[in-house]
Amino acid sequence: MSSRSLTFGSRLFLAIALLAIASACKHEQPAVPTSAQLAGLDWQNIERQAHGTTVHFAMWAGDQARNRYFQGTVADQLKRQFDITLHIIPLGDTSEAVNKLLTEKGGGKTSGGGIDMLWINGENFRTAKQGSLLWGPFAASLPNIRYFRDQARDRDFGTPIGDMEAPWMRAQFVMAYDNARLSAPPRTLKDLEEWIKQHPGRFTYPAPPDFTGSVFIRHLLVACGGDARQFAANFDQQLYDKASRCAFDQLNEMRPYLWRKGETYPSSPSELDRLFANGEIDFSMNYGPSFASQHIARGDFPQTTRTFVFDQGTIGNHSYLAVPFNASNPAGALVVINFLMSPEHELDQMRVLGDIPPLVPERLSVQDRKDAESSIPGPATLSMSELQTHQLPEPDAEYTRRFQQDWAKKVLQQR
Amino acid sequence: MIARDKSAKYLRSVRPGLADLFASVVFASFAGLPLLLLLLRSFSKNWFWPDIFPHEFSLRSWMYIFDPASGIPAAMGVSVVIALAVAALSLAISVPAARVLALEEFSGKRFCILLLMLPVLAPPLASAMGLHAAFLKIGLTDSILGVVLVHLIPAAPYCTLMLMSSFSNFDPDLEGQARTLGASPKAVFWHVTLPAIAPGMAVAAGFAFLVSWSQYLVTLFIGGGRVLTLPMLLIAMQRGGDAAATAAIAIIFLAPTVLVLVVVARYLKPLS
Amino acid sequence: MRLNSKHLRIASNLAPMALTVGLLFAGGMLFAVLQSVGWSSVSGENHFTARHYDNFVTDAEFKDSLLITFALASVSTLLSATTGLLLALSFRRAAQRWRPVRVLAQVPLAMPHTVMALVVLEFLSPSGILARVLSGVGVIHGSEGFPVLTNDRLGIGIIVAYVLKEAPFVALMVVAVLLRIGDDYDAVARTLGASRWNRLAHVTLPLVAPALVSSSLVVFAFISGAYEVPFLLGRQYPAMLPVVAQHKFMDVDLAVRPDAIAIGVIIAITTAIFVVGYMRLARALSTTERPLIF
Repeated sequence: MSSRSLTFGSRLFLAIALLAIASACKHEQPAVPTSAQLAGLDWQNIERQAHGTTVHFAMWAGDQARNRYFQGTVADQLKRQFDITLHIIPLGDTSEAVNKLLTEKGGGKTSGGGIDMLWINGENFRTAKQGSLLWGPFAASLPNIRYFRDQARDRDFGTPIGDMEAPWMRAQFVMAYDNARLSAPPRTLKDLEEWIKQHPGRFTYPAPPDFTGSVFIRHLLVACGGDARQFAANFDQQLYDKASRCAFDQLNEMRPYLWRKGETYPSSPSELDRLFANGEIDFSMNYGPSFASQHIARGDFPQTTRTFVFDQGTIGNHSYLAVPFNASNPAGALVVINFLMSPEHELDQMRVLGDIPPLVPERLSVQDRKDAESSIPGPATLSMSELQTHQLPEPDAEYTRRFQQDWAKKVLQQR
Repeated sequence: MIARDKSAKYLRSVRPGLADLFASVVFASFAGLPLLLLLLRSFSKNWFWPDIFPHEFSLRSWMYIFDPASGIPAAMGVSVVIALAVAALSLAISVPAARVLALEEFSGKRFCILLLMLPVLAPPLASAMGLHAAFLKIGLTDSILGVVLVHLIPAAPYCTLMLMSSFSNFDPDLEGQARTLGASPKAVFWHVTLPAIAPGMAVAAGFAFLVSWSQYLVTLFIGGGRVLTLPMLLIAMQRGGDAAATAAIAIIFLAPTVLVLVVVARYLKPLS
Repeated sequence: MRLNSKHLRIASNLAPMALTVGLLFAGGMLFAVLQSVGWSSVSGENHFTARHYDNFVTDAEFKDSLLITFALASVSTLLSATTGLLLALSFRRAAQRWRPVRVLAQVPLAMPHTVMALVVLEFLSPSGILARVLSGVGVIHGSEGFPVLTNDRLGIGIIVAYVLKEAPFVALMVVAVLLRIGDDYDAVARTLGASRWNRLAHVTLPLVAPALVSSSLVVFAFISGAYEVPFLLGRQYPAMLPVVAQHKFMDVDLAVRPDAIAIGVIIAITTAIFVVGYMRLARALSTTERPLIF
């Protein structure tokens, strides 16, 4: 090739490069309304602004049935009712999204963010709120907020919410076992520890910071501290030091009797479920009270699987929907959030996924109330009253954060 | 003229002996057994301990991965688009570079080749982490273009190295002859050079495609979870515990790799 | 050196590649190095510090990770090289004579590492296929009787996955050399009365040594920087360097990010050293032998 062809080669390169750049260029973004502006508008106006737009919803995607439900049924409904295109951004863990927002905030990306709404709670919410990563306050302006308990709008793992996130679901930790293999499961933490020592290799928990593993070890922390309500108040260093020392002693005592001698742990609740289903371990656990029934229905768990809560109670919490500070489409996000909070949708979600909505029955219509009371899914799900009478509040988010980090050092790495 | 290597005299077609068949079985099972296992798993339902073979079969996982609501077809599409863009850009960059590296002599040539080997063999991990902050500032994170650019890091030099061997078999005199016969440089390129190196280009582009197709970590870093490619879904599905769907995605994931290698086996000299 | 048209032509032909590699690779590496020594806009640092590299000397997590990365990479490379050499020597004749063998031999290369890791999990996990077969025939009782080979302390699953992938790769590189040099040396040695073992040790091995060593270098460099296999088949702690790097890069605490980048830089430097070594040996190779790893 002579020097002519070099020009040709370089021209070809430039052409393709420009084409690639052009095709990847984003469209012109309309100006994004501030929360103050949106609060001033009436709901009809907001719905109109949201019409025909796309909303990017970042949510934990570790459960296939959940993904399918949102990407299928929910997306279709949103399209039909509001002409909104729902796009799910799957997260391995909510902290991924928070990390992203933190990075974007630090990097100066204050608009045109990739996430419009986020399923969030706990220490992730605390990090987000403290880092000014959220758009709002907005929750008070949602029409469907009236159906929710005031308690759900007050504090999230101890952090005051201030309407920066909207309540969506309730969760409570339950343990699962196979009735055919084990007729009388241990009902207290102490009994469980005894059982583990007598049956080496048959118990494990997902490695924190996975949220299921994290809440499991939190039960030990709370039990060591004595009164769960103490932990729900503001963080107390002395309480933490005392309780965590006791908890780590117990966790390390338990360690050699765990599956794989506690040297490795399943990395997700799904992996734990698989070990349980395959008969490698005898217990599973989850934040979703109807997770076992769902698995039975899908043929993943044996029909004889049942769930239980500890006599002293298990930790329960709420989870929420929030809007990031740099969301490209906050109006669309608000409409979707409001839709997800509607009694009609909440009850449908309960029917399909077994999620429990924190709705106030007295504020629902007669029909909805009847639906709510009759739709408790599954043979392996405990009754609402059993769950409620055995519920412990979530500790303040700082306890969770510290305890997770220290678990990695003191238990996993043995330092 | 094109040199023939010594192996040519051994390439007679001979009826396979026992040793040959044994060799074939060994090599076939390296890839055949895994594939078989994946196929079984993808069509199975409730294949738990202690069943050595699945008792129940179902098309569920295959239907799931082709159902748009699962997001998997979209991820396949994104992977294909990115890999094609990477292959096209790599070719455009590599053709002129490979030519001079193969056919010309100049000081610093070996150094250039060394500089090309580095991005091929070094994992793009470090440069992607380094570029992330810069991409964030100029808005290339979370974008397909950003991902294409980081995939170019290992793919383009690899493409060049592959093209170099095509060019080393190319005789520039042919171009000279065509020029003396009155052909324009453009015509020379299209009718003399291109046909001669076209097979090599196809192979190089194929491998650039594969390098991009199999990237996971750098897509995760730069794409920020917004750009979803097939390997990311594969890992997510494995963590999510659906073994049958994981196996189905794995089969789709390795299909282009097998395809490219089979096609390449025709063009390249044996065992390149 | 005068700038003549030849230099200009060469430079402009190399320009697109130089620009790409320069901006993206060199630029990326430069940014990585800068961020790892304290200039990081994301974590807010802006003065020189060796803190992130100190970790390798002071922090147990870094030290353990470095150790296990080096150990697993070495063992995997050694086993792959040995197995690959044996495969090459055993099947050289078959590869010469029968084309399907050559095609089939390239198929393991077609399997991405991620998929191979998944297959190893299916096959070797305590409730996997092998365990079920052994339990079915009564050799073991229950999945507890099966040894722990995946997500285990010795990294056996990781080693198996890498050997299954890299041994065929090494074998192909060695067979390519064997076919290229042909039988002449071997024939001469035979006529001179050398025994089979002597021929192997003193004729064949020295001739394939460059290809063997260079492909081993490629394999070692690749394993040190690969993520998917240790992620799927390894333990949470100690984890191989790329897994630790990913974990720290995605940490919510942005101050940890430069630690991750420092790990990446160390991996890159290690690989660079091996690449230079490979280049030295590659002088003996033809241009058709190219590393092919994904």
